[in-house]
Amino acid sequence: MRADARSLLDRLGRSDFAYKEFADRFSDLELWPLFEALLKDPRLFTQEIAAAADMAAGANEAVSSPAIAGARTAEPAPPPPPAPLRAPQPSGAETLAELFNRYEAEASGTTPQRHAQDVRAMLRRLSELDARGEL
Amino acid sequence: MPLILCHSPKGGASTTFTASHLAIGLSGMDGSDGIGGDITLLTLSQSDMTPLHFGLPPAQRLPAFGAAIEAAVLVSGISLRCEPFAAQDPDFLARLDDGGFLAADSARTLVIDVPAGEPALASRLMPHAAVHICPLTASPDCLALLPQLLEQDEATEGSGTAYVIGKLDETRRLARHVAAFMREVLGDKIIAKIRQDQSVPEALAMLQPLSRYAPASAALADVRQMADVVRGMLEMPASADPGQTDSDGAAPTRPAPGASRAA
Repeated sequence: MRADARSLLDRLGRSDFAYKEFADRFSDLELWPLFEALLKDPRLFTQEIAAAADMAAGANEAVSSPAIAGARTAEPAPPPPPAPLRAPQPSGAETLAELFNRYEAEASGTTPQRHAQDVRAMLRRLSELDARGEL
Repeated sequence: MPLILCHSPKGGASTTFTASHLAIGLSGMDGSDGIGGDITLLTLSQSDMTPLHFGLPPAQRLPAFGAAIEAAVLVSGISLRCEPFAAQDPDFLARLDDGGFLAADSARTLVIDVPAGEPALASRLMPHAAVHICPLTASPDCLALLPQLLEQDEATEGSGTAYVIGKLDETRRLARHVAAFMREVLGDKIIAKIRQDQSVPEALAMLQPLSRYAPASAALADVRQMADVVRGMLEMPASADPGQTDSDGAAPTRPAPGASRAA
């Protein structure tokens, strides 16, 4: 480790740096067609389908994250209640996640295709992680 | 008895680094609970870089698996061995068994580093492994392998494969997104992320162990955490049903990755 980096770490009382805050815009997350291609791959769903079968048989274990589980259900998830119409709020009053959730709620009514919802569910989940600084 | 298999389908995913530091992490444990203590790191690669990760010069030749104890290379209490032609040896598993590494009550821990180019050999070893550590990188090529990996995991009825995201550079947008996607798909099967850290190659170039060259290394902290998680995974069957075997009588029951973290 370089001496200047070590000195800075010592002054900060840290043993290493951790990069945690990098803002990603929602639109940026849609730039990777590989994600969408993978979500179409049935091999990615095999274990979840088996897990779903287990759950249907009474198993208690939940093995899927909410986003993937939502994306892999045979039927589309019921649409969220329509967002109330509201006037534009001052900048910063609405979180990024709320903005995207509202966008999804509005968009889902016009594009009912399951595939589109799969991708959107995944991207919404990623956006929520990003908004919480966990991405 | 733990036999820990380190194998990635993708080369350059830090498998040797992961295996080496996993062995180092486990060697710090006293072995009183059957984990740690007598550790052997066996590399099956024909172009092996294991000595570098222990601060040894590249000219250091590791003894064969069956070599006499006098020929052993011991670093930090870890016996380093190599078996570059194990894939061609039909008796390799039998020799592991003869060495006591497959016995449920053995006090020895064996970490095996299987190179990416030997998937068949990894498949042979997998049923006997307490844990299979699969290092991946947060890159599109590793991401594209996910369906294949999950399919293989399902085919082998394996719930003991644990994934590690190595060389993770979270300053890169694509790497962050790929890692997030992997977390979504694999969930608790990802047991650790190891950050990209320039001090790792620097330590190799300095012919020093990473813990000596850069004790504050981010990658070192991450890989130590990974070793703790693996230890937790290994402790699970010991307390639940030690020595349980399947119908073949050879393979121990493997804990689900992430089970120890959830506990």
